[in-house]
Amino acid sequence: MVIGVKKVARPRKMSGGESLYLLEILKGLGVTMGHLLRNIRHQENIATMEYPEVRRVMPPRFRGLHRLMKRPDGTPRCVACFCCSTACPAVCITIVAGESPDPSIEKYPVRFDIDMLRCVFCGHCVEACPCDAIRMDTGWFTPAEHTREKLIYTIDMLLEK
Amino acid sequence: MPTFTINGISVDVPERTTVLEAAKTVGIEIPHYCYHPKLSIAGNCRMCLVEVEKFPKLQIACNTFVTDGMVVKSNTEKVRQAVTGVLEFLLINHPIDCPICDQAGECGLQIYYMKYGLHKSRYAFEDKVHKKKVQDIGGQIILDAERCILCSRCIRFLEEVTGTSELEFFQRGDHSEISLFPGRPLDNQYTGNLADICPVGALTSKDFRFKCRVWNLRGAKSICPGCANGCNVEAHFKENILYRLVPRQNDEVNQTWMCDPGRLEYKKANEGRLLTPAVREHGGLKAEAWEAALSAVAFRFWETVEKNGSESVAVIASPAFSNEELYLTRKLADEVLRTPNLGFSPRTSGDGFSDDFLIKPDKNPNTQGAKLLGFSEEKFEDIVRKISDGKVKALLVFGNEIADFSEEKTGELLAGVPFVVQIGTNEGSVFRAAHAILPSASFVERGGTFTNHAGRVQRFWMGFPPRGNARSGIEIITGLANRLGAGWKFAGEASVFRAIAQSEAPFAGMSYESLGEQGQMAGGKG
Amino acid sequence: MSGLFDLVVSVARVAVMLAFTLSLVPIFVWAERKGAAYIQDRRGPNRARILGLTLGGLFHPLADALKLLFKEDFIPDGAHRLFYQMAPMFALAPALMTFAVIPFGPPVEIAGRVVALQVADLNVGILYIFAISGMSVYGVILAGWASNSKYPLLGGLRASAQMISYEVALGLSIIGLVMVFRSVRLSEIVASQGTLLWGIVPKWGVFVQPLGFLLFLVAVFAEANRTPFDLPEGESEIVAGFHTEYGSFKFSIFFMAEYIHMVVGAALIATLFFGGWQVPYLADSGFLLPGGLALGLPGALVFFLRIGAFVGKVFFFAWLFIWVRWTIPRFRYDQVMRLGWKVLLPLSLANIFVTGLVLLLIDGGA
Repeated sequence: MVIGVKKVARPRKMSGGESLYLLEILKGLGVTMGHLLRNIRHQENIATMEYPEVRRVMPPRFRGLHRLMKRPDGTPRCVACFCCSTACPAVCITIVAGESPDPSIEKYPVRFDIDMLRCVFCGHCVEACPCDAIRMDTGWFTPAEHTREKLIYTIDMLLEK
Repeated sequence: MPTFTINGISVDVPERTTVLEAAKTVGIEIPHYCYHPKLSIAGNCRMCLVEVEKFPKLQIACNTFVTDGMVVKSNTEKVRQAVTGVLEFLLINHPIDCPICDQAGECGLQIYYMKYGLHKSRYAFEDKVHKKKVQDIGGQIILDAERCILCSRCIRFLEEVTGTSELEFFQRGDHSEISLFPGRPLDNQYTGNLADICPVGALTSKDFRFKCRVWNLRGAKSICPGCANGCNVEAHFKENILYRLVPRQNDEVNQTWMCDPGRLEYKKANEGRLLTPAVREHGGLKAEAWEAALSAVAFRFWETVEKNGSESVAVIASPAFSNEELYLTRKLADEVLRTPNLGFSPRTSGDGFSDDFLIKPDKNPNTQGAKLLGFSEEKFEDIVRKISDGKVKALLVFGNEIADFSEEKTGELLAGVPFVVQIGTNEGSVFRAAHAILPSASFVERGGTFTNHAGRVQRFWMGFPPRGNARSGIEIITGLANRLGAGWKFAGEASVFRAIAQSEAPFAGMSYESLGEQGQMAGGKG
Repeated sequence: MSGLFDLVVSVARVAVMLAFTLSLVPIFVWAERKGAAYIQDRRGPNRARILGLTLGGLFHPLADALKLLFKEDFIPDGAHRLFYQMAPMFALAPALMTFAVIPFGPPVEIAGRVVALQVADLNVGILYIFAISGMSVYGVILAGWASNSKYPLLGGLRASAQMISYEVALGLSIIGLVMVFRSVRLSEIVASQGTLLWGIVPKWGVFVQPLGFLLFLVAVFAEANRTPFDLPEGESEIVAGFHTEYGSFKFSIFFMAEYIHMVVGAALIATLFFGGWQVPYLADSGFLLPGGLALGLPGALVFFLRIGAFVGKVFFFAWLFIWVRWTIPRFRYDQVMRLGWKVLLPLSLANIFVTGLVLLLIDGGA
């Protein structure tokens, strides 16, 4: 392949009037004042979203905070297979499995903690889950707490959401 | 020696070798479930089908013996299709509950499905024949009849190895399943092996159940510390917690088996561990830094020797320690403390239970090593007498107990000694009486060698560094000796073993390289 | 008796001047934030509230000041402790001092004595302004050097280079004005601007010295370190420039100084080029329009109209500072130097020459 030479357009040389800047500055001032006056008169062009009161509606595939799904009887759908914690690149899922009293369920999570401080919201856990037990569809993306401990979500918190 | 060709590779193998074993010698793996090197050949899983020239039909590799000039192909499309078909049959009634199955990750069905299957199930879950899940059949085993592929390995094991024959096939056709005879649960000391030999998740370990996923485990080659037999094992751990011991093949020692009590030996490395050096002050234990604790212990021994002579100090070694550590212990007593009071706890509690297969009455892993290194039982009785007479003013005890003495007896005995130092791994009767505690590493936290009852010197490897602030015995003894002015320069177990090989006749000519993974007989016996 | 009267008047004038300038700071901080927001299609401050009132975010400067007041007063390791603490004062004091010579209203008669509405009516007013404003850069340089940190040092160096370059143009751009009004006393310059040019145009500095006004405007922006000349604190290159290492109340003093500089700059522009407190066509007795029309007004109303005119002009030019900041991007360092030395300096010299020539032709050298 022959290496071609690509011509890149050079910036146009400024005309005399432009190089004086005065008129251009005045034009610029006109633009900014236009925005100012328009925004004072009516507010529909203001892009600011007043966050805590108004929230952006997230698209359906947005990955927010996790939640654990329940069976119809209210027990967690999770069977503690460790697929999510294995897939997790941030190693933020801690599971302790236990023997369920129901032999048809067999295995259930005694502990299921997600360390939200570590989570990178990649969604691999959701993809890995064979039981559709973990989802990231809460749409919630700004957890804020006063202590780090409160951001380690336990199984009860995850089932609540 | 018949010459045999597989996938274009020719190799000479002995008479009466099966195609499957012959293929293994050239590194070709033929899929199989029912074949097991240490069991009789059943030939019922049909996974090992191969194409043999001049045979009209595919043959099973596990039960076809090599003849001269035989040409075998295991990589043709015909073979692949046959294996895929067999696998689909085996999976017809499988519940595919991998998420809750402990076998997942080391399951024969998963491995061969990824290699030969990758098909969609043509059989709806509701149409599958369901059998009883989660059956506690005794021993260390949980049976899930649904996952079983009826390979009969377990039945053959119980018939041929333990001779107890608790399991058998019941029912016919689709409804065939393995089960116990009513009211007769598994009753032998080797049930744990059933979980190992079961190629699927039908027989799983009760102890390991749901503890950890196998793909999170790492393994270290080790030796079971449970008795003098020295079964070769693989210690499985995650981070610094041991989860299980599984047997490692060594035809001279344990073939591919190990006993149930041995499988639970790992718990001692997890629970009740001594993790930080401590010195007893005003009745309570106070954690110390290593330097301070070693210096305090060294000073007391030096002081006692200076005041009352070297007869007033004594060392009780433990056959639970490695050859390397025992050698250094002897060196410490002979060359540094210069005391004649050196013995080893010859027995341990729980001694005596044994059988004619793997379980030995001596529950220490290295009694033979201690004897070969010149420790004597008579000396131990002598030291105990001296302690009772109040002649011993400072005592260094290895291990967590003294011989098979009861808690009270140990307490009474040690109460008469003004300064008792323990070098051990776990809380026990010695811990409760000791004035200073120097925590040592468990069997997976350090490397070394044990000599088993028959005199086989076998290596064990370090899996992970000592937990907490524990240290390997070599480091502790060297640190103590150097504080008493020894000037030793041992760095790691290999350098100590070299010294043993040079100076100890039974170990002459040995090295870690020559020991390898299978060990070597002491005294040049094989 | 007269001594006491003078003392009371002086103290009152200083108090009024200080109250005026300092109270403008939060107003312009608010105007800057809110104006910037609206220019950029944002909402700007609207959260801080007292008794449920937000007043369009007017409480934010108050909240900021409170916050800064309660923050830890920190001196970085290795900083020159004395200079580090002196620098904010050096920045603030000259800004406030400049205001002393600016007349903010016509002289008034109180108890039979004429009182100038100006802290000090110096006969060297303009020179005083140059002398004092030249000092203000020391605060920045001192802060940059005393912080013992690389970015503040670069900020300080930029400030000094910029000051040297633009002080010259600033001084020279006013020479023409001085030549026209034949005085360096600010009260006289303002008084002269009350007359009419050719009987129709107010004789404001901007009309007699249009080029001088432009040069002065640019130079004042540079002197006040406002965009597009805010290189000493160019955030995109040198973190926060000279005040990178400053926090808490010391930072708030720098912040105040910046806004007072802006107000002083606006007051100077208004005084020198836009008639100060003068209202076009407004004489002491009322409006006298060019066509011979007259509108009589009471003396008190005229007085307040004039004060209001001055305040209005200051507000407009201070807003201009803000307006320009959110319109024009920051110059590159070489562009600043080129503009200062190769454009402003020759132009201001030419302005003096042309002004002299015109004066010579009109007045015949009288």
